[in-house]
Amino acid sequence: MTQDDEALLRVTGLTMTYGTGEKANRIIAGLDLAVRAGEFVSIVGPSGVGKTTLLRCLSGLLTPTAGEIRIVDELVTGPHPDIAVVFQDYSRSLMPWMTTLDNVAFPLQGRGVGRTERAAAAATYLEAVGLKGQGAKYPWEMSGGMQQRVAIARALAYQARILLMDEPFASVDAQTRFDLEDLVIDLHANLGVTILLVTHDIDEALYLADRVVVIAEKPATVVDVIETGFGAQRDQVATKADPRFSEARARILNRLRVQ
Amino acid sequence: MMLRLPAARWIVLLAPPALVLVLWWFLSAASTSVFFPPLSKVLDALVRDLMNGVLPAAALFSLGNLFAGLVIATAVGIGFGLLIGETERLRLSLEPLIHFARSIPQVALVPLVVGAFGLGAGPKIATIALAAVWPILLNTIDGVRGVDPSIRRVSRAYRIPALLHFRRVVLPAAMPQIAAGIRVALPIGVTVMVVSELFAANQGLGYYILHSASKFMLPETWAGALLVGLIGYALALLFIVVERRALGWYFRSGAK
Repeated sequence: MTQDDEALLRVTGLTMTYGTGEKANRIIAGLDLAVRAGEFVSIVGPSGVGKTTLLRCLSGLLTPTAGEIRIVDELVTGPHPDIAVVFQDYSRSLMPWMTTLDNVAFPLQGRGVGRTERAAAAATYLEAVGLKGQGAKYPWEMSGGMQQRVAIARALAYQARILLMDEPFASVDAQTRFDLEDLVIDLHANLGVTILLVTHDIDEALYLADRVVVIAEKPATVVDVIETGFGAQRDQVATKADPRFSEARARILNRLRVQ
Repeated sequence: MMLRLPAARWIVLLAPPALVLVLWWFLSAASTSVFFPPLSKVLDALVRDLMNGVLPAAALFSLGNLFAGLVIATAVGIGFGLLIGETERLRLSLEPLIHFARSIPQVALVPLVVGAFGLGAGPKIATIALAAVWPILLNTIDGVRGVDPSIRRVSRAYRIPALLHFRRVVLPAAMPQIAAGIRVALPIGVTVMVVSELFAANQGLGYYILHSASKFMLPETWAGALLVGLIGYALALLFIVVERRALGWYFRSGAK
């Protein structure tokens, strides 16, 4: 792929091994990945393939055994200001002692942004995720779907170039999940942020992304890459009824079945 | 949110001590023992010495020491607890020492400390702080260690600076357990407050109790003890109110 040259995020030969010697457990081996600025990429793989490990490496929370992660030319050696993470478990990623507004503003406080400025930014992004005027509430006063919206607002307010999402809709009901998926599609289209989403759900991966990267095997590596080609506008019914959708779906399922 | 506990809760809180007082009154009414005077005499002595200013002056001295001792114990306990809880190596090397120090009966050391440093508030405050610091320290360490790893990951991923992380993540997350430690420390402080005034003292509630006993004024002795008990009870109530207020998120979120 020639576009690799203009990649915003580039992962080369990423390898992660837990333990050493005979007990060594290799989770990821030689994984390559490139994400262009503004692109929406899904990484799909079966449960237990090492998605969480991969995401922790990408977010700088884990140091890979080998290989490197670069943002443009800069080597990622730890949590990076250009990466904002939306964690899987919203109930344990929001701080129950802070209002939603404070939760969203907190990373900005860490960046040294002044009080009024960060409160204004937090209010703006709460509005962007459909929670206008809800800043004074506490997370535990909200439904699961709303809490995950707060977590998304927090990630957006951090103003990173890359949004990293770890199975963000795994613990909400189906209808809420569709709403959140469409919200993320809108945010991607409107804000131009680059999104890398990790999921085990093939339909979700296809519905959301410009490109789906399939990872499988033990240790995990990239086994397939599919350009979805649905464009910016998606619809829960029409897009999923598109023949290309079912074709891609079958291709991924077959890929994962051979394992 | 101030003192707005539901009425039913107030009844639950106040009924048992009221019952004890009633029982005490009737069971002791006919007592002729010098050592167990009727509650009526105890209350007479209590009211008289409260009105003539003897007990208020004593209580003021004692409570001042208690307050200072608890403030020091809380500051030291939380400060070092955060540090030790966050630093694995420090914790591993210090924990045996802490448990050793905690197991020493603090009350037994009071005569030494007070004897060595003499009259005045200083040594009494020091002994109160020394006795009350342990439950706060140990609970803070446990509270810090119990902070959910996913919350820590959020803090790291969003590159929250260490001080801010301490203040707005670790401290609030550990606060319910820290509060439990302070609640345990309160009665310890009250006990040591009294004991510290049994030696080398010329004022305070402990001195009042010891002095009246040595002069065989036993209703006064009981009155002093009763007042100390009431102070401990009032502190526990006050603490519940403060805790409800400060940890509103914890109680209302259903985490507890």
